[in-house]
Amino acid sequence: MIPALGRFVEALRGEGVAVSPAELLDATRAVEAIGLEDRARFRAALATTLAKGRRQREVFERLFESFFAPPPGPGKGKGTRPGSSAGEGAPRRRAQGGSSGARSRPRADEPRPRARADERRPERKVRAMVEEVRAARRVGRLRVVRVEPRAGETKGPEAGLRCDPGKRDLKRPMTGDEERELAREVPKLVERIRLRSGRRFRASRSGRLSPRRLFRENVASGGVPFVLPLRRPKPRRPRVVLLVDVSFSVARSAGYFLLMAAEFLRIGRDARVIAFVDRPVDATRAVRRWLARGRGAAPQVRAPAARPRRRGRRPGEGIAGPRGSFADLLDSLRGLNLDAPSDYGRALHGLLRSELRPRGRDTILVVLGDGRTNRLDPLPWTLEEIARQVRALLWLVPEPEEQWGTGDSALAHYLPFVDVAVEARDLAGLARGLTEIVRRL
Amino acid sequence: MSTPAALTPEAIESAFAERGFVCTGEVATTLYLADVLGKPVLLEGPPGVGKTEIAKLSAAIHDAELVRLQCYEGLDEAKALYEWSYGKQMLYVQLLREKTAELLAPSADLRSALAVLKSHGDEFFSRDFLLPRPLLQAITSERPVVLLVDEVDRADEEFEAFLLEVLSDYQVSVPELGTIRAKHRPRVVLTSNDTRELSDALRRRCLYLYLDYPSFEDEIRIVESRVPGIGATLAQRLVRFAQSLRKAELRKSPGIAEVVDWALALVAVGADSLSPAVLGRTLGALLKNREDVDRVLAEPSRFRA
Repeated sequence: MIPALGRFVEALRGEGVAVSPAELLDATRAVEAIGLEDRARFRAALATTLAKGRRQREVFERLFESFFAPPPGPGKGKGTRPGSSAGEGAPRRRAQGGSSGARSRPRADEPRPRARADERRPERKVRAMVEEVRAARRVGRLRVVRVEPRAGETKGPEAGLRCDPGKRDLKRPMTGDEERELAREVPKLVERIRLRSGRRFRASRSGRLSPRRLFRENVASGGVPFVLPLRRPKPRRPRVVLLVDVSFSVARSAGYFLLMAAEFLRIGRDARVIAFVDRPVDATRAVRRWLARGRGAAPQVRAPAARPRRRGRRPGEGIAGPRGSFADLLDSLRGLNLDAPSDYGRALHGLLRSELRPRGRDTILVVLGDGRTNRLDPLPWTLEEIARQVRALLWLVPEPEEQWGTGDSALAHYLPFVDVAVEARDLAGLARGLTEIVRRL
Repeated sequence: MSTPAALTPEAIESAFAERGFVCTGEVATTLYLADVLGKPVLLEGPPGVGKTEIAKLSAAIHDAELVRLQCYEGLDEAKALYEWSYGKQMLYVQLLREKTAELLAPSADLRSALAVLKSHGDEFFSRDFLLPRPLLQAITSERPVVLLVDEVDRADEEFEAFLLEVLSDYQVSVPELGTIRAKHRPRVVLTSNDTRELSDALRRRCLYLYLDYPSFEDEIRIVESRVPGIGATLAQRLVRFAQSLRKAELRKSPGIAEVVDWALALVAVGADSLSPAVLGRTLGALLKNREDVDRVLAEPSRFRA
């Protein structure tokens, strides 16, 4: 019994369920007490000793089915023979690769969302997807925010080209010049949000006086207080965590978004920026340096030295901060592999396990990304776990709503845990998302 | 410390059924394993699915005393474990004043008086002046005990850590009295409404069971066992109605107890269908929030499918 159970536990650990040795012992004793005759009891015994939470239970159910297959005939299965206590093969094992712990492509017995046949008929696929999101909306507390086209405006990418630059689809290929042209729209949008929110975002000249600094800074004037220094705010946990997908297709949206967000959030103090393609990287300092204004002495964004440059055009070359382009910023981030396939599951799992993990009851997590995770396991429980520890979870999707969750997008798995999802495929959409964030500050 | 004798899962199931509680195999297996492995059981789930009831029935079928510790924010050791009865101590000191004077009369100086007091000093910190709170009650009880730690997620994290210490070896040390060991190992049931993430350490030491709302068939069985006079059609209709309410986003979803109450109310008013008039009169038994009631009464047909 022990080897089979050991492999099962190993597989659970591979899926992120931390089973302790003590729990494995409990499970062994439980199975000894319950026996192997009754599959339901066997399952209950393992579940109660190994899966200590709802999402652990989900993983457990999935793996249990593939590890301990039901006996073929009524009571004739090799494993259900009464008294086969030493049965290494007692519960039949089916999954061979389960114990490797590696996260590979989803298994064949795992239910894929919707049938493949749908993919040949896009309109049905979209409908199925919308149904799924609707279902999510009903159980989860999802609010979807869209920027509605104004009266008389035609929708679609072609129409977007001709009219308002704020409506240009950011996912379409663009040259550096086109990017620069769009970047000029950013200040207008920023100003609009600022006006609408009716709030002041620069530090004000009011607050509590700092007595110690008052004396020190007015020594020169013989103690006559010409300067009234205020207390500096204490460092605190970031109130907003921006988790941005910077893979090829989304990088441009990420660049514009950060450019706008920096106008409202003090990156490094109020906000933390985490970039990811397949694993999370803290980009807070790099982004702050990229956007640092004034005092010309600040260094340029570090040029990529050791890393071979990405081939072809890089998105974000035309999005210039005061210190170089967004593409340069991305190249300078250490630990970020821009050529890797996007892997949301792994990135979220890494975030959950790292000290960067957003938490706190006044923390807002903002995810920017399309959820296209290359058919790798989306591990939606990681987001659920993270969402539980923050005040609100906003997701900006740089795609039209009709495409959410289609193809390799795992958005349908994530949306149930999201409070607000914003359709942000253009600058106007990004600005709309930012409004949602600012409203919650 | 004696270990309680374990009932088999089948025996637990049938004993629960005798008392009108429809118990799934999973619940029975977990309770049985808790006895065999000597572990606390952690029951988690939405309010109103019978978590507390399981602990109560577990006490009943094992012929044990139920000691309940209701957790809340700010619960501390003094309120959970023991306290010295300060009032009683003061009263005794007052009443015994003359006796003390008599005792101290022969001693010539302060030092010898202190020595005399010292030799009697422990009298006021004996078990007579100890106020046992639920945890100590459970440990010192002469009879087998089921200790129900209800809504443990409401207590603070410090208390959770303290609970771990007590539950690991069922002993308590009182500085003045020494260590008190349990005579019978209590069966411990913890419940949580999942409002706060419990620590991994606590989860690890417990057997875990997530109780969800019952399936359609199970809920009909529950209603029929609790409300004898109810017709099969009405039971089906009301359970379907209640289950569709749970899927809708209400402020407070109806638990099993509320469904049973509602069934009793429907039988009491002699209803045989869920007409809007009947709903208007009885819905208060099922939904405990005015907005919810208004919403459902506005379009009851939405929930009947």
